[in-house]
Amino acid sequence: MSVRARHNVHESGSGPATLFFAHGFGCDQNMWRLLMPAYAARYKTVAFDLVGAGQSDLRAYDPQKYSTLHGHADDVLEVIRAFGQGPAIFVGHSVSAMIGMLADLKEPGLIAAHAMIGPSPGYINQGDYHGGFERADIDSLLGTLEGNYLGWSSNMAPAIMGSPEQPALAEELTNSFCRTDPEIAKQFARVTFLSDHRAELPRLRTPTLILQCDDDIIAPVAVGQYMQRVMPDATLEVIENVGHCPHLSQPSVCARAIDRFLAAKGF
Amino acid sequence: MEPAEQPDPMAPAAHEAACGMVTTDTKGLVLWVNATFCSWLGLSAEALVGRKKLQDLLTIGGRIFHQTHWAPLLQLQGSVAEVKLDFVDAQGRLVPMVLNALVRERQGTRVNDLALFVARDRDAYEHELLSSRAKLEELVARSARQEEAARDRASYAEQMVGIVSHDLRNPLSAVHLGVQALRKMAPDEGQRRVIDRIARSTDRAHRLISELLDFTAARLGSGIPVTPRPTDLHAVVGDAVAELGVAFPGRGLRHVKQGDGQPVVDADRIAQLVGNLVGNAMAYGDAGRDVTVTSRIEGARVCVAVHNHGAPIPADILPGLFVPMVRGVTGGADRSVGLGLYIVCEIARAHGGTVAVTSTDAEGTEFRVTLPDPAPSRHRNAGSM
Repeated sequence: MSVRARHNVHESGSGPATLFFAHGFGCDQNMWRLLMPAYAARYKTVAFDLVGAGQSDLRAYDPQKYSTLHGHADDVLEVIRAFGQGPAIFVGHSVSAMIGMLADLKEPGLIAAHAMIGPSPGYINQGDYHGGFERADIDSLLGTLEGNYLGWSSNMAPAIMGSPEQPALAEELTNSFCRTDPEIAKQFARVTFLSDHRAELPRLRTPTLILQCDDDIIAPVAVGQYMQRVMPDATLEVIENVGHCPHLSQPSVCARAIDRFLAAKGF
Repeated sequence: MEPAEQPDPMAPAAHEAACGMVTTDTKGLVLWVNATFCSWLGLSAEALVGRKKLQDLLTIGGRIFHQTHWAPLLQLQGSVAEVKLDFVDAQGRLVPMVLNALVRERQGTRVNDLALFVARDRDAYEHELLSSRAKLEELVARSARQEEAARDRASYAEQMVGIVSHDLRNPLSAVHLGVQALRKMAPDEGQRRVIDRIARSTDRAHRLISELLDFTAARLGSGIPVTPRPTDLHAVVGDAVAELGVAFPGRGLRHVKQGDGQPVVDADRIAQLVGNLVGNAMAYGDAGRDVTVTSRIEGARVCVAVHNHGAPIPADILPGLFVPMVRGVTGGADRSVGLGLYIVCEIARAHGGTVAVTSTDAEGTEFRVTLPDPAPSRHRNAGSM
């Protein structure tokens, strides 16, 4: 199975560096539809689905391999090796920011810079560390996911209502956004929200931008501040945004922050 | 009629609609809410409008799900349908709801219009489904474990029988060699009879062990092994009949051949099944009349039949005839553990064939083994291709 087919890789543009866009839990590469086009004129861009999400090849989903984020990190290395041209800049949303960090630590030098959007090294409060959630909250999420079994299923797309103000989306896209096998969604939720990678942060020497929303229950501001404090080369940018997906709700604000960071680091 | 676009805060119809209706800004802040929704949550419109975000009314799990899945989905495709979420009412109780949401532009700003339904019954039903699924998975896992254990026991039994049979054959071979040595010592008439009896018993014990091994392979393993090759069927059956004639002195045994060709069968197994069937015919048939063995080759089929005269097989034991350990009514000393017919059946099965029996007072009893022969077409066509 080719890396391209396994991850439903989409390449675009060309330039001195390659930007890799990795989506977070709950969605797929469609998350980048508003942000990524701004970069295709200046860089090579590569968007892909994590195995188990979107249009990735579900036959490649091995529950053993993906029982930790390391399985996904190994995949990221393969994607970068296969599609990178020039320095690799890894744009990771949410859990993918940590997947990018693990990939970097496995093969130092392969990734030249990280842009982390709404990252969190650990979601559960522990001692002085404020991740934002208690263990019981994560169990409540798993319960909610079970209750939305049909909502995830790619076999049964509920009727999509037309929205007059929204440009018409191709039918095949409309029904494929963010869908996946419900069992995989549940395992990925468990792996994501029970992960704790605080210990690795101080070892990541690669220049990193932390793009932090000022009102995000998934990744509270305290988490961004904590990360900047313990990481050797991290820049924290807090943007005004409600929610966890600023690249959808504030794409131009995100683009400006990323541009500043890339310019400062010489890309 | 009011246009459906904008629920008029004053319109009683919208306020008392049969579903909850909520309008929020793009960040989720409640801009308008109907009375139905307020009454479901036990909260006043004043407590909600301009004060609460929709996500504030959800369980924590619901909030994460909202942030990571359906809010981006709503932004990407302008609508979501059939999302199920647990709301928390004024008393802290869960109210499961299903919602549809639509992004609209009204007076120059984007808003989200939501319609919500309480889904307690659906929620209960889904939980039942999930718990029965969990139960089913547990049952499947348990049955897989039991199957595994049964396989282990079967393979252990097969190994046991294999080892014991092997160990029994060694002393039997020693007895056999001893008998041959005794024959060379010029025994007198009485001694020779004793030696013959020992030889026959040794042969029978050998046969019994072979049957036991075949039975074990058929019953617990992968079936009786056969090695089909192009075979002169009539010659193989003829040789077997000749040997059996010696084993049953004073009994009439005929061989009838029909058709010709070289069917692809396992010659040793054919001889074995002829032996088993003739042994049966001799034991249960009319001792005064001939037993007839027929070997027939007809097109793509091979048939080996053994017929005897005498009392028919009682109707009540016919159905279980090919089940191991079942025997016909026998008075003789020639007892066996009753594996013979079962093994005949398994040899036929290993060739992809069948065994049939007819048994009447007038016609006697006939066992008929029919085997498919994959070869004839190949042999005939091969030359012209």
